[in-house]
Amino acid sequence: MTSSTTSSGADLLTSPEDWLREQPSLANRQVFRHTLARLADVEPRVVLLEADLAGGGDPFAARHPGRFINLGICEAAMLDIACGMAATGHVVFAHTFAPFGAMRACEQVRLGLAYGRANVKLVCDYGGLSGAFFGPTHHAIEDLAILRAMPGMTVVSPADGLETIQATRALLEMEGPVYLRLGRNRVSRLDVARPAFALGRAMCLREGSDVGIIAHGEVGVSVALDVATRLEAQGVSARVVNLHTLKPFDEEAILETAERTRLLVTVEEHSILGGLGGAVCESVATHGLGRRVVRAGIQDRYDSTAGTHEALLQRHGLESAALVDSILTALPRPRLTALAPAARRG
Amino acid sequence: MVQVPLEERARRIRRTILRLAATSVGCHLGGSLSMVELLVVLLGRVMKFRPREPRWEERDSLILSKGHAAAGLYAALAEFGFVDTEDLVQRYNADGSPFTGHVNAAVPGVEFPTGSLGHGVGLGVGLALGYRLRQRSNRVFVVCGDGEMGEGSNWEAMQVAAQHRLSQLTVLVDRNGGQNDGPTEAILSQASLVERLRAFGMSTVEVDGHDLEALGAALEEPCDGPRAIVANTQKGAGVPMLRGKGPHYATFNAEQLRRALASLGEVTP
Repeated sequence: MTSSTTSSGADLLTSPEDWLREQPSLANRQVFRHTLARLADVEPRVVLLEADLAGGGDPFAARHPGRFINLGICEAAMLDIACGMAATGHVVFAHTFAPFGAMRACEQVRLGLAYGRANVKLVCDYGGLSGAFFGPTHHAIEDLAILRAMPGMTVVSPADGLETIQATRALLEMEGPVYLRLGRNRVSRLDVARPAFALGRAMCLREGSDVGIIAHGEVGVSVALDVATRLEAQGVSARVVNLHTLKPFDEEAILETAERTRLLVTVEEHSILGGLGGAVCESVATHGLGRRVVRAGIQDRYDSTAGTHEALLQRHGLESAALVDSILTALPRPRLTALAPAARRG
Repeated sequence: MVQVPLEERARRIRRTILRLAATSVGCHLGGSLSMVELLVVLLGRVMKFRPREPRWEERDSLILSKGHAAAGLYAALAEFGFVDTEDLVQRYNADGSPFTGHVNAAVPGVEFPTGSLGHGVGLGVGLALGYRLRQRSNRVFVVCGDGEMGEGSNWEAMQVAAQHRLSQLTVLVDRNGGQNDGPTEAILSQASLVERLRAFGMSTVEVDGHDLEALGAALEEPCDGPRAIVANTQKGAGVPMLRGKGPHYATFNAEQLRRALASLGEVTP
């Protein structure tokens, strides 16, 4: 058993990194549960709603049974109910799997959270292909495109345990609707120095001048960092930006990255349509930057063959070796690019 | 303060609804008229509220789940002092006004935007759960249409209401027998509505939805769980010219408005 305040150890809120070191086996979705349970110790307005996917041993349910309601298998009603509860002054966290929260209950999210501006935090795990062997019914490759299109939504995709703790705390401190997207499986802690976390502000994890890699989430950011290391070995310098908040979109960080590099790359565990890749292309084209964008992500198809999470990602080109090849192929050579317009004119 | 008889309030609300039907955009007339007595009894007899302080913490809540009947709700909110009747009629659909064709939460007295069907019961269950958790006794009233009961999310939410014995919640179904494309019975029958509500754990009574006394008594009856009231009504009720067969949507011209008001006993200018 794990606890958000172990007798021996660190407190999740005051020493999150120490706490995480003591809980090496937790997936981010479990880190979220411990974080919310700990936050609820000090914030009486927090309520957690479930639609029969809390699993066993939820620390929030154990510590705050009066504020934990498992509504049963009824995601659409759960989101309406969440909005009703929020209207009575509670900060309502509603959890389910991403395909059911973002898509089955999509219209409830639109009406109540986005249009209704409810103070509801929709927390979904099983983002991307992390549900792997459970099949496409349990994958969510479209969720970010859908949620990003809803006015007023905040959309956050943390990369590791520390960022999950930071994001969860930040959600509680802000008023308004949020979609927090997590994966299913345990992921490694990002082994990199990072600036302070702030919702809506991208963080540069590595400076570089040839390639600008923009990523979010549990798979995206770690692949981006690994790709940058591999590119360095080939003499190519890569800037890595963690865009944990897809909305509000930190366009300034994208444009700055475009200006400082020669090729943009997006990496995310989401369809190549409409997510981060789409958002970056929109910005680059809108500002007339004429910069090529390589979009690494889930290809535009449902993947119904079994396999591990890693195998599925590999099939879609979401792994370092394949991405390094794509980047090297796409990277413009400075001199040839400079000559090209003149050659065409001639 | 002079107590206005509820019958008089109902007549004045119908007058406002007819005037909204005579605007350039018209309104969902039949379903606005059918629920007038429901709203009059709720606002005039049962509910606690302060029209000048719509967010008063001790208020009871009214959710119009059948949000297309916005004209009926706006007219009732005007009758009970939340908004000004003349302002409503003049600014209905005016550029920049809050008076949209489906219920807008920017209108004082409106708790949630509705119009997409099947949301009201869930929102009401959430309010009731939230009030209970805060140990408050505010009551919550949700008005649904009978055609709207085709939406599965209503039934999802009622299961939750029953499971948690939400006695603060009352769902009223305005059974006017019609929906957008025609008679409800011909499209998706709600003939077993009362039995189904009971099977879902709702304490259910069936009343004449135009009988103010019967409605009031049903709403005031003590109940230890969630309650449903199936109110049998007629589309276009209360306007003799429409003979209880009001159209789902109508845009009146000046002559139609004059005749409709005259049939209400109104002398038009």
